[in-house]
Amino acid sequence: MIKLQEVTKEFNLDQQVITPVKEVSLEIGKGDFVMVIGRSGTGKSTVLNLIAGLIKPTAGTVFVEGRDLQTLSDRDMSKLRSSDMGYVFQFPSLLPSLTIIDNIAVPASFAINKSKDGGRKRAKELLGMLGLGDRLDCYPRHLSAGEQKRAVIARSLMNEPKILLADEPTSDLDEQTEREIMGLLKQINDSGVTIVMVTHSLGLVPFCTRAYSMDKGKLNLTHANNKSGAK
Amino acid sequence: MSIFRLAYNNIRGSAFRSMVIFMCVLGVASFLLGTTLVISGAQNSLNVGIQRLGADILVVPEGAQTQVETALLMGKPTNVWMPDSKVAEIAAIPGVEAVSPQIYLQSLYGAACCSVSEMFLVVYDPATDFTIKPWLEKELGRPLNTGEVIGGSYIFVPTGQTSIKLYGYNTDLVGNLEATGTGIDQTLFMSTATAEAMAKSSLTTAVQPLLIPSGQISEVMVKIVPGADRHKVALDILSGVLGVVPLESPNMFGQFRHQMTGLLWGFVAIMVVFWILSAVLIGLVFSMAANERRREIAVLRALGATRFYVFRSILAEAVILAFSGAVIGVTLATFVIYLFRTYITSSLGMPFLFPGWGSFIGMVAAGTAFILLTVVLAALWPAYRVSRMEPAIAARE
Repeated sequence: MIKLQEVTKEFNLDQQVITPVKEVSLEIGKGDFVMVIGRSGTGKSTVLNLIAGLIKPTAGTVFVEGRDLQTLSDRDMSKLRSSDMGYVFQFPSLLPSLTIIDNIAVPASFAINKSKDGGRKRAKELLGMLGLGDRLDCYPRHLSAGEQKRAVIARSLMNEPKILLADEPTSDLDEQTEREIMGLLKQINDSGVTIVMVTHSLGLVPFCTRAYSMDKGKLNLTHANNKSGAK
Repeated sequence: MSIFRLAYNNIRGSAFRSMVIFMCVLGVASFLLGTTLVISGAQNSLNVGIQRLGADILVVPEGAQTQVETALLMGKPTNVWMPDSKVAEIAAIPGVEAVSPQIYLQSLYGAACCSVSEMFLVVYDPATDFTIKPWLEKELGRPLNTGEVIGGSYIFVPTGQTSIKLYGYNTDLVGNLEATGTGIDQTLFMSTATAEAMAKSSLTTAVQPLLIPSGQISEVMVKIVPGADRHKVALDILSGVLGVVPLESPNMFGQFRHQMTGLLWGFVAIMVVFWILSAVLIGLVFSMAANERRREIAVLRALGATRFYVFRSILAEAVILAFSGAVIGVTLATFVIYLFRTYITSSLGMPFLFPGWGSFIGMVAAGTAFILLTVVLAALWPAYRVSRMEPAIAARE
């Protein structure tokens, strides 16, 4: 489903070349829940962005659903992101000028098969499922951090993706909210969605099927489960 | 969600930024349309006024050109005289088909015997007239009787009265000429018989008698033979008749036109500076907005938006702001010009006649298109730049 082959990514920052990802190879199958763990600045998010096609590798190849991302045009890449991937950013990523229901419905605008109501019905369902059914017409600023995260997860599921990419989805959340969010991601994974999640919290490892630690640009398998752990 | 809805929400979400752009657009649009309206209104007024005069050449006493032009242009009464013998001399010039003298008079200032103060009065000779006559034939179907007058579009019988009293003599207003925006609109036209009757009556009814110098006229209207060279005829009048100056109708109000051209260039210069500053400001504001919203744009890209979608969504904001600013700006300018046209034109010392619907709509459409183009061009580079950014980099910055 997802395959990274000898992928390297370099950035030029102030005339200095940094290499957050060095010759990384990784295979993720359908239904996997993979975590990439590491401290800040170790290149975890870069791996996620490479899989999402939000940046291009300096060397190596990234395949998603058998398609080499580097060969895709911007239009095809956008189509792939819209139809097959959901993305949860680390930072608050709801659009501040839109209500929650409109935020959740945004991906429907990019869907190949557009619904007549602009995705509002599904957005409503998703928000209801995630316990935000009474916050449809609120603006993001009216939601707590945990509610915003749930809304972002709802948005990532809008186009029924096969892959969910989550960048530190529980950062800045209290312990209880963190467990709620992880429970939610687990449910999503159980429904057949492949999840690749980046986190610095080792405590979350029991939720995944495989965990990799990232250090100096390299990925090392640190944990493998046939079944996910703690709830 | 449509691009325009997203753009509309972004506009609402960034009220201050949107207001800056909107005000810039509104300023440019209203200034652009306002100046265009004033200039084209003046041009329109001149053309209609010259057409209304109905003569190919106007012959006035030497040195009185400015006075006559000011009187005709702004309705400011004047007294200029030349011997009536000039009529025959002018008529004898080759190429002249018809001549008709006119006399300029004025009502008294603040006198009880006049119901209107300082009005410009033009006396025409019904026997030779060819300028008022066509209108009378068309509108009244008869010549004016003694005691009857016709007025420009602004002339009316004062409230509570049935006639216009001049030098204690009652005149009946039997019609109004079409608006020209020039002094003709504030001018009263009467036949020589009416002027003579008024002068005679004024000896007993007015606080000051109306004196019409015997054997004197103010100007001569000249119609040339069809196909004759107007300029040559005018030159022949200048060289063949002493003490007069011929004014060719298309070249009339030359001094005013010169002033208007100066004013026009002044407006154009201000407009260009204002336009460039606004375009730069709008471009900067869009650049700032694009920079501010890098994360939002990265989010949109991660959700499946193409570069082109991002580009179009920023341009859609520009179009909405430009269109609404332009529409409100041109509407505002139209109302201001329409309501204060008399004040504006008298302040600027120029005639004004609101352009016809066709040219007005053309001006509004061209102005709106120009504004749209300006704003879209100003937003083009920021929109392109931000749409080309790598989403992950944009999200991190």
